[in-house]
Amino acid sequence: MLEKILSSCKLSSVSKIIEHAPIQFNRRLLYTTPVHYKKQAGRYRVTHRGDFPLTYEMANPPHQIAHRKSWNSWNTSNIVGGVRPAETAVEDVFIRKFMSGTWHNLFVSEIIIKRQYNIIRIAGIIQRTVNPRKLYFLIGYTEELLSFWLQCPIKLELQTVAERKDVIYKYI
Amino acid sequence: MNLARQILKVPKNFLPNFLRPYSVAQLQQFNESETDKLYKLLELELRGNDPAVLRSFTKFAVTTGNHFDLQSKSWSIKKPHHERYTVLRCVHIYKKHRVQYEFRTYFAFVQYKYLTGSTADTLLEYIERNLPEGVALKATKVELQTLPEHLIPPSDIDQ
Repeated sequence: MLEKILSSCKLSSVSKIIEHAPIQFNRRLLYTTPVHYKKQAGRYRVTHRGDFPLTYEMANPPHQIAHRKSWNSWNTSNIVGGVRPAETAVEDVFIRKFMSGTWHNLFVSEIIIKRQYNIIRIAGIIQRTVNPRKLYFLIGYTEELLSFWLQCPIKLELQTVAERKDVIYKYI
Repeated sequence: MNLARQILKVPKNFLPNFLRPYSVAQLQQFNESETDKLYKLLELELRGNDPAVLRSFTKFAVTTGNHFDLQSKSWSIKKPHHERYTVLRCVHIYKKHRVQYEFRTYFAFVQYKYLTGSTADTLLEYIERNLPEGVALKATKVELQTLPEHLIPPSDIDQ
């Protein structure tokens, strides 16, 4: 690639090109800064402009779970004597991916999954950017397909909000 | 179920399983000649990850028992059961730096005294239908039966 650039330019400007060459060209570095042992899971950095929106859920870091936050999936698999924790977790991941993908840009909160006996109840907040008729179709489609794939009754419990702005807790 | 079939105009065997009304407890067939069972004690053991949910549900269960005119009470164990995992924080090396995760199981108990079989069935059915997600229930019944005829107490042998 460097040869191509060189061949297409005059000799006088070659030195300038090498000066401004990207860091990957023939330069291999060792990163010698110390490792940062700080926790960075689920935390958002303060931006320079101060316009990054955070919902209440995003604003509270993970150590606030069970204090100011509660869980997103409710089931008995992680209790002493609980069954199938791994399968439940995988199903939850599948449900979340399916919901966020099928309901394009509609979910404004996290998708909450509750299991009671055989029934899976999926809850969340959506924004009213789409026709109600389309929402009815989406509800029926989701319930039908998910219940076929997961082999148990699925119930959707959705709440709507006018815009995304209504769930914003603070700006960072 | 007939109503559902009529509304949907669906042939007899077509309705999927989850649209049929379900009953959690097996209600015993009550014959005229059979007498109802008698229970000395019905104890519910509740397990959950969130103590607030358990507290609220035990309150609900005790109130239900009181509506049935039963002696009902509840108690809970203050300390939960912890299942802890200590794992490496980094993908590669840095053995001295770990992360700790834990699962907590809180316990709560509800007890009802001196009920009949049909009361126990109804009460259990209602409570089980209203069990919140994330709460596990174990019901124990202690039955009272008459002493079988072949077991004679020593005081009656002489008579």
